Amino acid sequence: MHEQSLFASVPVHQHHELLQQLAGLTAMQPRHCLERRLIFKAYRKPGMAGRTGASQDLQQGDLQRLNKMLNGNMYYTQVVGPVSESDFGSTAPVDQDTQMAGMDDSKPYGSSSSPSYDYERQPWKLEFRDIPEAGTRSAVTSRLMSSATLPRGDVVQAMNAWGYNFVTEYVVEGDMFIHNDIAIFLHRVLHYPGGDELSLPRRQLPALKDMTLFEKSGSYVLQAFIIVQDGSNQETMKTASQHLFGLREQLKSAVLLEQADRLSLDTRAK
Amino acid sequence: MADSFTLPLRPIPEKRDRPDTLPVEIAQINNQWGSFREVNEDVLRNKIAEEEEKDGLDEVDERDQDATDLDSTERLEQLYKRRAEITQFAMQAHMETMFALDFVSLLLSKQAPRQAETSLSAFLKQVAPLGSLNSEVVNPPPKPESTTKDVSAVSRGWRIQNFNAAANKLLQAASRLETEVAAETRYWNEVLTVKDKGWKVSRLPLERQSLGVQYGFLESAPVFRDRGLASLRRAEDGALSLDEGLIPAKARFVRVRVIQDGRLSGCSKPTRSSFNGDGTIEDRILQARDTVYEDELFHELVREARAIASFGVTTRQNLIQIPASDDLEILLDLVDTDEDVSEPEHCISQQGTSIAEGLARTIRILLAYAHRQNLRRRTQLPLPLTPKTRPVPEHQLIRPALAYIKHMSHVRWLQSLLKDLYGVLHSASLRPPAYTARIFSTRIQSQTSPAPAVENLVGQFLTPLLSTFNGKILTPRASFSIAIHTNLSSPPFGTTFDVSFNMPKYPDIESPGKLSHREEVEAAITHLLLLDVVFTISANSSLKSECNEDQAKRTWESIYPQHGELLIPTPKPNSEKRKKMKIALSRHELSLEIYTVRCIDGTGRGNWEKPSYHSMPHTWKPSPIVGAPNQPSLMDFVSTEVSRL
Repeated sequence: MHEQSLFASVPVHQHHELLQQLAGLTAMQPRHCLERRLIFKAYRKPGMAGRTGASQDLQQGDLQRLNKMLNGNMYYTQVVGPVSESDFGSTAPVDQDTQMAGMDDSKPYGSSSSPSYDYERQPWKLEFRDIPEAGTRSAVTSRLMSSATLPRGDVVQAMNAWGYNFVTEYVVEGDMFIHNDIAIFLHRVLHYPGGDELSLPRRQLPALKDMTLFEKSGSYVLQAFIIVQDGSNQETMKTASQHLFGLREQLKSAVLLEQADRLSLDTRAK
Repeated sequence: MADSFTLPLRPIPEKRDRPDTLPVEIAQINNQWGSFREVNEDVLRNKIAEEEEKDGLDEVDERDQDATDLDSTERLEQLYKRRAEITQFAMQAHMETMFALDFVSLLLSKQAPRQAETSLSAFLKQVAPLGSLNSEVVNPPPKPESTTKDVSAVSRGWRIQNFNAAANKLLQAASRLETEVAAETRYWNEVLTVKDKGWKVSRLPLERQSLGVQYGFLESAPVFRDRGLASLRRAEDGALSLDEGLIPAKARFVRVRVIQDGRLSGCSKPTRSSFNGDGTIEDRILQARDTVYEDELFHELVREARAIASFGVTTRQNLIQIPASDDLEILLDLVDTDEDVSEPEHCISQQGTSIAEGLARTIRILLAYAHRQNLRRRTQLPLPLTPKTRPVPEHQLIRPALAYIKHMSHVRWLQSLLKDLYGVLHSASLRPPAYTARIFSTRIQSQTSPAPAVENLVGQFLTPLLSTFNGKILTPRASFSIAIHTNLSSPPFGTTFDVSFNMPKYPDIESPGKLSHREEVEAAITHLLLLDVVFTISANSSLKSECNEDQAKRTWESIYPQHGELLIPTPKPNSEKRKKMKIALSRHELSLEIYTVRCIDGTGRGNWEKPSYHSMPHTWKPSPIVGAPNQPSLMDFVSTEVSRL
């Protein structure tokens, strides 16, 4: 899948007004989102690369592909978990035995009477983003992307098994709008108080008001994006960017949507 | 000038050196006299005659002049003299004009130096600097009294006239403004009233200078969504008028008609009576909104009707026919609200009307629900873009209502079947325990979804319908249960009866499971109850025999319970004659026949079987009259038969 997007910076004093403008444009109420984002870095397992033993039966093409896979670029990936406002600053559930994992999946997290945050029941989603394509004529940021649902609860072990190390985590708060095919996400990044010296994701979340802004001025990022199923289909890619340009025209008087700097979205691990 | 000496100002035509070439001359002649073809003798003669007349006059004149003329040299001299005189006059005139121009230019150069400079002569520019000459009004010579008076009178009159004109203009403008202000006030007041009522008033997207009111539904299909916007125009007097564009302003509604047994038995009424042109703007907006809603409703109904053509639903241009259940047919069409409903009133039944009204309300509620679902779908994160467009699924409007009607019909049928069977059993003085019916016992989902309560409520209506019947029968620890599922939203479509038995006495009997025909269900239940009756007879007679020691061996034993056959084994083991009883149970009656069979074990059939001495089958029917002549109960009859042997 490919993601085409345009970005804009929104100063904090314009935020409220823009929310109203977007609500009018998309004819919907903003959907408030809070997301935990864990960053993982891929590492090469020792002894994996260049090992060619017992590969006699592999065809030449397969071997090349395998080598490319093993020695290719390493990437940072994100693991995203939606949380609710009441999860912040709440304690762990008192009696953990009553809530067995996987017993009642339909029940949304954090819906028990006293606000509590249960890390073991936190749903996660793995999101991979490639570095934006270089040298495209089109004035939108286009990058390869993929996402997959992960098991609930502690995700670090599973990620370690797949060759990823936990690096750090942060929280994104924002509002989501949908305009036909385009998703518009007006968000900003929050950091946990007291630095990120932890080597594991937090099991409890601090109060939301204690979170510190990553961008001190409190300004927001407006990201408008379309996900395209088949990135090799020029027709759909063109349609998607046309839609984005249409939105840019419509929002021209409010914000200036533009392509992001390619290298600032580099996800390769060096 | 004493003499009338004429001086030609044009130069004297000189003699050309050579004559014109022939083509030129011919062209000239053509031009002057016309084509040569028209030249004939008569014309030429006439011409010559005319020429001669004219020449004659000229000659006379010339002769006169010749007499008084001076000789040529003198004349030439005079000519030169006069000519020099003219030149001199012209020069003088030119000079004076130039002086005047210079003077005026110099005078003007005080006020407008740039302009005056262009007409100032070069010499004067050098000599006198610009703006060095000024003019001032000095004591003018006193005008005569009358002139002053005239001037003042004229100017006064002029001024009065102007003042009058200005005043008229101002008054006109004021009154025009006043009417305009009144009209605008009225317009804006009405717009405000509309807005205060809660309508969305906004600028029109294509006509930025005019106002529009949004009454449509944002979640409708795009065609109808775009129709939900009309401009608010101002009439001359400021009255607000709703301009809906090209849409017919006729109010229409989806009419539901119920046909029962081939006759019209119910018809739904329009939700709002139409007004006749004198309604308020609010009424007009409401009517426009209703019309859009009804149009969309019918559009969606037709779309859905095409999708469910497999249920026998047929669509005409403006009519949907739905065969709902056994004798019930539903017609949907889009008609004008003011259309005269000239249906015969006598056929309209209370039940039919309530079905029609209920159905009319249901489809409207379901469309509103579909709108909400559209909003929900629209605000979800969009699916990845693919080249092929995803089809818009049909809304569920007819299907849930149809499922309800079908389900109700099946439930009623099952209820009547059970009632009949139990009636038959009662008439034979058997007392089966009552069954329990839980109609529409669809499991209510727990309130976990974040959707509003009203959506959950309607959502339940869209789930497959389920009714269950549970009952115990005479046999101890035996029971039956029937579940009726009706589902028209997702395959498998239609109604299924899930029948299950629990008969510990006959463990080899299997539950029939899912059945889809009423006949099968009837057969299954009748069979179960027959088994029950057979078992009861054998159990009861053995109970009785226990107390009666001498008849210990003489009890009914069921041999073929599936066929309702029982047998009394004779005490004498070698006797070939045995008594056999055959029970048949149907919806209408319970019949019993006694046979005498000649067979060792009593299991023989065919020729060995002979009706016993009183072969009249005994039947029990539910009597419609309470307190009918008492028949002997089945049990008594059976025990007498035992003792009679």
